Amino acid sequence: MPDWRTEVRSRLPKLGLAAGDEADVVEEIAQHLEQQFAELCVHVGSDEARRQLLAQLDDPAFGTIPVRRRRAATRRSTRLLNLHWLGRDARYGARTLTRSPAVMLIAALALALGIGLTTMMYSVVYGLIIKGLPYDDPDRIAFVMEASPSRSVDDQTQTSVQDFAEFQAQQRAFESLGGYDLGPVTVSAPGLPERIEVAWMTRGVFDVTRVRPLLGRTFRAGEDTVGGPPVAVLSYAAWRDRFGADSSAIGQSIRVDGKPVTVVGVMPPRFAFPHENVRIWLPLQLDPVGTPRGQGRGLSVVGRLRSGVSLEDAERELDVISSRIAAEHPETNAGVHAVVTSFQRAVMPPPVFSLLYTMLGAVTLVLLIACANVANLLLDRAAHRTREIGIRRALGASKLAVVRQFLLEAFMLSLVATLLGTALAQGGIVAFNHAIADTQPPFWMDVRLHPQVLLFAAAMGLLATVASGLLPAVQSARIDINEILKDDSRAASSLSIGRLSRTLVVFEIALSCTLLIAAGLMTKSVVRLRAITPGFVTKNILTAQVSYSSTDPAKQQHFFETLAHEIARLPGAQAASLSTQLPGGLPYPSRFAIEGHTYAREQDYPMSQQAAVTPGYFETFDIPVLRGRAIEATDRMGTVPVAVVNQRFVDEYFHGADPLGKRIRLGGASSTRPWLTIVGVIPTLYTSTTPTHRDSWPPALLTSYWQRPRSDASIAIRSTSDPMALVPAVRRIVATLDADVPVSRVSSMDALMAQSMWAMRVFGGLFVVFGLVALTLAAIGLYAVMAFSVSRRVREMGVRIALGATNGDVVRLVCRQGARQIAIGLLLGLAAGAAAARLLTVVLFEVQPHDPFVFAIVVLVLSASGLVACLIPAARATRVDPVTALRSE
Amino acid sequence: MLTSELKKGSAEFLILSLLEHEARHGYELAKLIESRSMGVLTFHVASLYPLLYRMEERGWIGGRWVEKAGERRRRFYHITAAGRKALDAQRESWREFVTAIGRVAGVRYA
Repeated sequence: MPDWRTEVRSRLPKLGLAAGDEADVVEEIAQHLEQQFAELCVHVGSDEARRQLLAQLDDPAFGTIPVRRRRAATRRSTRLLNLHWLGRDARYGARTLTRSPAVMLIAALALALGIGLTTMMYSVVYGLIIKGLPYDDPDRIAFVMEASPSRSVDDQTQTSVQDFAEFQAQQRAFESLGGYDLGPVTVSAPGLPERIEVAWMTRGVFDVTRVRPLLGRTFRAGEDTVGGPPVAVLSYAAWRDRFGADSSAIGQSIRVDGKPVTVVGVMPPRFAFPHENVRIWLPLQLDPVGTPRGQGRGLSVVGRLRSGVSLEDAERELDVISSRIAAEHPETNAGVHAVVTSFQRAVMPPPVFSLLYTMLGAVTLVLLIACANVANLLLDRAAHRTREIGIRRALGASKLAVVRQFLLEAFMLSLVATLLGTALAQGGIVAFNHAIADTQPPFWMDVRLHPQVLLFAAAMGLLATVASGLLPAVQSARIDINEILKDDSRAASSLSIGRLSRTLVVFEIALSCTLLIAAGLMTKSVVRLRAITPGFVTKNILTAQVSYSSTDPAKQQHFFETLAHEIARLPGAQAASLSTQLPGGLPYPSRFAIEGHTYAREQDYPMSQQAAVTPGYFETFDIPVLRGRAIEATDRMGTVPVAVVNQRFVDEYFHGADPLGKRIRLGGASSTRPWLTIVGVIPTLYTSTTPTHRDSWPPALLTSYWQRPRSDASIAIRSTSDPMALVPAVRRIVATLDADVPVSRVSSMDALMAQSMWAMRVFGGLFVVFGLVALTLAAIGLYAVMAFSVSRRVREMGVRIALGATNGDVVRLVCRQGARQIAIGLLLGLAAGAAAARLLTVVLFEVQPHDPFVFAIVVLVLSASGLVACLIPAARATRVDPVTALRSE
Repeated sequence: MLTSELKKGSAEFLILSLLEHEARHGYELAKLIESRSMGVLTFHVASLYPLLYRMEERGWIGGRWVEKAGERRRRFYHITAAGRKALDAQRESWREFVTAIGRVAGVRYA
């Protein structure tokens, strides 16, 4: 019998049918011909039958098979996205996924964890950085400073009043320009007297922010010039606290430094400028013409750029104006030029940016680890499904259809994971906001699931789809049909998948190693920070600020002496003191000179922390005296001025030699202050660090509070029980002395210390969570791959055991493979970790970025968990019964 | 033997009629047309399949590979709703045509 398929096929090519269609057409017509041939043979013999039928095939009508629509339909079916096919594939995918619900649930959870963490972290980055400040179009707001060649580059200063006036009159780059200055005032009536920070600003500042007042108005022309009416704009909080949020507040007056000021406006709740502690805005009444150059206050200047004008353009324009001023007034302005930066950059310290982006990077690593796990899981399933895929391919499914099927399954997993992850992120955000609630976060920070954050979550879901689905999909599409359909070829095809899985695990181990190093460094910092013995007691201490100034120095002196006396007598007070600075506070190092030394330049003078304290200070904070004596009650005005220095000071500036009796003087070259005799040495105390002052144990010197007139005091009272119970009594004492004097910043010492550590605690804690999640995911991934590989080799193990391999041999065999992956992963991860650690330097506390202890622990933990992940499947391998193993298959 | 023109015009009509009540494969259609017409009408593969595919493309009939136990899979054709409509229309015009021919040529059906 002739091969009708060949005959038909040879006549079809000119039609250009698609492969699948051609096969169908050939099959259908060949069947017909076979049947016809069988019948004809009976009547005319096979030769004649063959001739007749071939003649039929050569009929020109055969060439008229319509191909257009069939080809179009075929092309559509191979597209990646086709609703009809997608629906069918989705149903099929859902069936396959739900066939092993537990495994898929774990996969979805792993992805959800990754997506949840990334989304949460992104919501923080978004709420803190990307969303920007709560002003209209905040990106267009610029911050203008002046710099001069006589100062170092980062020593930019405020703009002088005169320069500001010139800028304002001549510039074109800004649609509005405003200047402001900050300072403390005492506000009273209505409400309790309070020492608060206010901003004096020109009316241009409100124009720059473009925020409308909630009530009333902002400043008018004429109000910001000398002699203008005294008016004030209140923040929402000030309005609520002082006027009970009553709209009749407009037109009423408040007392600012004892003078009445009319309230003309109230700003909306979330508005703050330039930071959240400023609660009242007063007009900056300038007189640039009447103020001689070189005098008058310096201003912070903000401006809103005109559209199309860049920061660089603005800087160039102000520079032109600056050089014009410099030519006219060389004595004050020679070389002074303008520096224009974005306002947001100016208020947000760059280390915070880098920290947040580092953290976003870190969680993306967690997500990638989760993706690698799921990719491995899908690869495993792909290996089990090679036969199914082979058959689908043989039945005409295109490679694209196979890829599509796998991607769709990954997509369905990611979809579930994204929904779960978003819910997780919401939980994380609630926890995050709760954790930072009492730490005074920046006023513009608004962390929640913004629409952009949800978009990000969706994007992460897609990333997860591609990252976890693409490898298995492509790998499956490459399967050789012939090999699959032949018997027992599964091992061959799964071999390459196995290699891929192992590579993925190496990648996972490397990523989690990187993360664990970061987490380890942060954890060690947090532990260090919590474990510090600051050198002073913080428990049961009440702190508060009091400011008082009077034209009569005797009255002022009397005020603080009575205050110190009264607070020490309070029932429940063990000890009490006044000082200009509490221990542990922010660093304010200033210059001093040691007698007998000469210093060529201003910057050659040594620096030290300084505080003036009353004798009670040492008892209140339980600070011991190492040598000499403490500040005593006899160190008063008129007696020899004295100082007590700390051990670090001695080490640094006296190289350990005895400093007692040596003399120092506060201030730099121009100082006219009296020489202080060092009378005692105390231990070095802890000081908060900032990005610019990273030393937690700096040199410090204490002087006597009573040897100079004072206008400010930090009260510290050590109580036998809850220190906050003393607050009403302290307020009463101050009110008796002067009803207009405010008591501010009332807090316990413990709370103050906690506040200075919040960033460390929150971010450190987050890193620990990331690290643990990464470790768990990597360990699970390694375990899954090892378990899979062992299950593939049951037969081999059986043979080995039958041939006399001991349990030890089998375990070694399995573990050797795992160990190699762990080793490679660790090497890569350590290198990446060392690089990442450098990014963390700014937030580490007394931990070197290449701390060998942390690196060692990470290696140990990862190897140990990796080995456990190998040992479990290895132990299973030893239990393989050779007889069953050999019979299987 | 009928002229090819006439055959072409009637072929679709015949196939639709044969598929009206049950789905059939190509060979069966060819055999049925041949046997019911007592050999007057025959279809070769070369003319039958292009015709079937064209009708399928037009949406009058649909083809589907069907597997029956113990048999090899075959492509079965069924009539679609559009095919039924076309069949009715063709029956009507055929009836008119035959009537008209009868009136003109005096051919009478028994």
